[in-house]
Amino acid sequence: MNKRAGIGFYLFLVIFVFLVMFPFIWVFLTSIKPVGEIFTSFRWFTANPTLASYEAALTNRPLMRYMLNSFVVSSLTTILAVGCAAFAAYAVTRLPIKGKGIFLGVILAASMFPQVAIISPIFNLVTDLGLRNSYIGLVIPYLTISLPLSIWILSTFFQKIPFELEESAKLDGASPFQTFRKIIFPLATPGIFTTAILVFIAAWNEYLFALTINSDDIWRTVPVGISMYQSEYSVPWGDISAATVIVTIPIVVLVLIFQRRIVSGLTSGSVKE
Amino acid sequence: MKNFQLNEKQLGYLMILPSIILVVLVTLWPVAQSFYNSLFDYRLNDPTRSQRMLSANMDLERYVDNYFYIDGQLGNLEGSADGEELAVIQQARETIEGFHGELESDSEIQAKMEQIDEMLMNFQPVSDSDLKYSKVDNEFAEDYRTALVSISEELQTMADNTDNEEAAQNYEQASSLLAATSDNILESNFIGLSNYVKYFKDSRMWQALSNTMVFTVVSVAFELVLGLAIALLINRAFKGRGIIRASVLIPWAIPTAVAAMMWGFLYDGQTGIVAHYFNEWNLIPSTSWLLSTSSGGMFSIIFADVWKTTPYMALLLLAGLQTIPQSLYEASDVDGANKWQQFFKITLPLLKSAILVALLFRTLDAFRVFDLIYVLTGGGPANATESISIYAYITLFSQQNFGEGSVLSVIVFLSVALISFIYVRLIGSDLFAGRTK
Repeated sequence: MNKRAGIGFYLFLVIFVFLVMFPFIWVFLTSIKPVGEIFTSFRWFTANPTLASYEAALTNRPLMRYMLNSFVVSSLTTILAVGCAAFAAYAVTRLPIKGKGIFLGVILAASMFPQVAIISPIFNLVTDLGLRNSYIGLVIPYLTISLPLSIWILSTFFQKIPFELEESAKLDGASPFQTFRKIIFPLATPGIFTTAILVFIAAWNEYLFALTINSDDIWRTVPVGISMYQSEYSVPWGDISAATVIVTIPIVVLVLIFQRRIVSGLTSGSVKE
Repeated sequence: MKNFQLNEKQLGYLMILPSIILVVLVTLWPVAQSFYNSLFDYRLNDPTRSQRMLSANMDLERYVDNYFYIDGQLGNLEGSADGEELAVIQQARETIEGFHGELESDSEIQAKMEQIDEMLMNFQPVSDSDLKYSKVDNEFAEDYRTALVSISEELQTMADNTDNEEAAQNYEQASSLLAATSDNILESNFIGLSNYVKYFKDSRMWQALSNTMVFTVVSVAFELVLGLAIALLINRAFKGRGIIRASVLIPWAIPTAVAAMMWGFLYDGQTGIVAHYFNEWNLIPSTSWLLSTSSGGMFSIIFADVWKTTPYMALLLLAGLQTIPQSLYEASDVDGANKWQQFFKITLPLLKSAILVALLFRTLDAFRVFDLIYVLTGGGPANATESISIYAYITLFSQQNFGEGSVLSVIVFLSVALISFIYVRLIGSDLFAGRTK
């Protein structure tokens, strides 16, 4: 539908973007207000901007430690999941093995499993291995989410690479693994990278496993750490809005840089092309 | 080995193997465990039920320790008592020795008890659960336990009846020792489907299930309608697509827990700007309505969820729209079709599979909802926004009841399986199209 965009359309866009971004705008404006003002007025712009809330957010709770924990756990998960998934997706889309349908069916089913259905056995497993309050203890359950997701997205990317390339490599005498390593893998790199971004975001955002398994404050991840800023007796909205701004910035940067890739990854599984 | 080469098939199986192992280990096996756990009265915070036992067991470590004192204490009592009481004590001692003898007649158990005895003498803890616990015959366990309990009660009566204070104290001590010993005999906590029966009659479970369904249906319906409208509107060439795309992606990309905290602030009865404006515009009865009433709580979580995931829905549908060939619309223009006809006869039918796939993912996500509610309302006020996942989490980890909690997990699992099954039947083979050739 190639309708031309008129003034009304752009007005709609501005309102739309404003509504979607409103919570962020308001939280940012709150984070630079003096704490007293937060509780007394609904004025949008403060006359005395201050960074006091940021200082409080960083000193009252180990926010930087939460960020580090999230970063390490998400990175390890991404490397492990995408690594295994690249092999599996290649095998399932391009090699003559049996049981592909069953395998993909199980993977799709696994990606739909509710986390709460596996949390108690995983909790027992991680406890028995002595891995509570550690990075590996979170990476194990995160594979439940990230591995099926990676295999599912990567198999669409591998499918798009022309099959003729493999055949000519075969004619030139390359072994199946050489074909994968030298021909297909380099061509699939953009797809693998896209998958890695999506897996990273999924792991970064995970809440239930992180809440249950890493219960020590210094091992908490960002989502759990943020939700612990409120105590039973007081809700320090200044700290919370500053902390929210701090943890949102890396994601905004990630989204701004990789938005095209993210969209292509998100939609690859859902639309036939 | 250098010239050894795998053929394509072998390579294929080898490449797929790590993923299969991991999926079995971290997904399939835990689900099976959850099913299994749900058949037991299995509680982490109760030592007599912290193991799953298909048959009766004895905690040999405690038993051996207690038995050592039983012998001594009953011997003592025999020395001080006379007449009728002496007879009762002798009888009790005989009974207990009889059961103990029967236990010792199993050479494996006898060997274990000797080993434990030695460890206890040296003040070593028995940490090996194979050594600590031993299976015993169900009937024997029940008889022994009943015997110990009844002797313990007899001794208690004797303690109550005697005038001699010292004797009373001794009786009482022996009585509580025997009661403690009876707790070392663990009866099987396999209870089959009783947990399920309990939850089918549990109004809180039905409440949680209906909350989850209301949340899922309402939020997904709004997301679909709004998402489709946005996708149709922005499916055209215009300047600034990048800004739209980024602003749409950011709510999707931030952690749900962070979004829930933000909305918690916006909804707050005192400081929340959304509560403030909604109240000023007379949309809600009072600023505290959003978080402190049941309908307000439900509205709040649905509104926050719609804000966070409509953009995602719009993106999926936009991608679907872009695969519809332009020529179809041109042809229908020539035939004189109006916009509505085009929408219902071209757009919707061709978008059907994209809509169904988007609905599948969104419905499942919404049904499993945990973090948004847990952080925003905690399931309150008065369980009015408690989803089934939250109820399961509370039972599992706040009450440490892994048996009953697993029942709730299984209920979530079965519901999700049913929803997926229905969608996959509707979508058909399209879901796999282009992946296996």
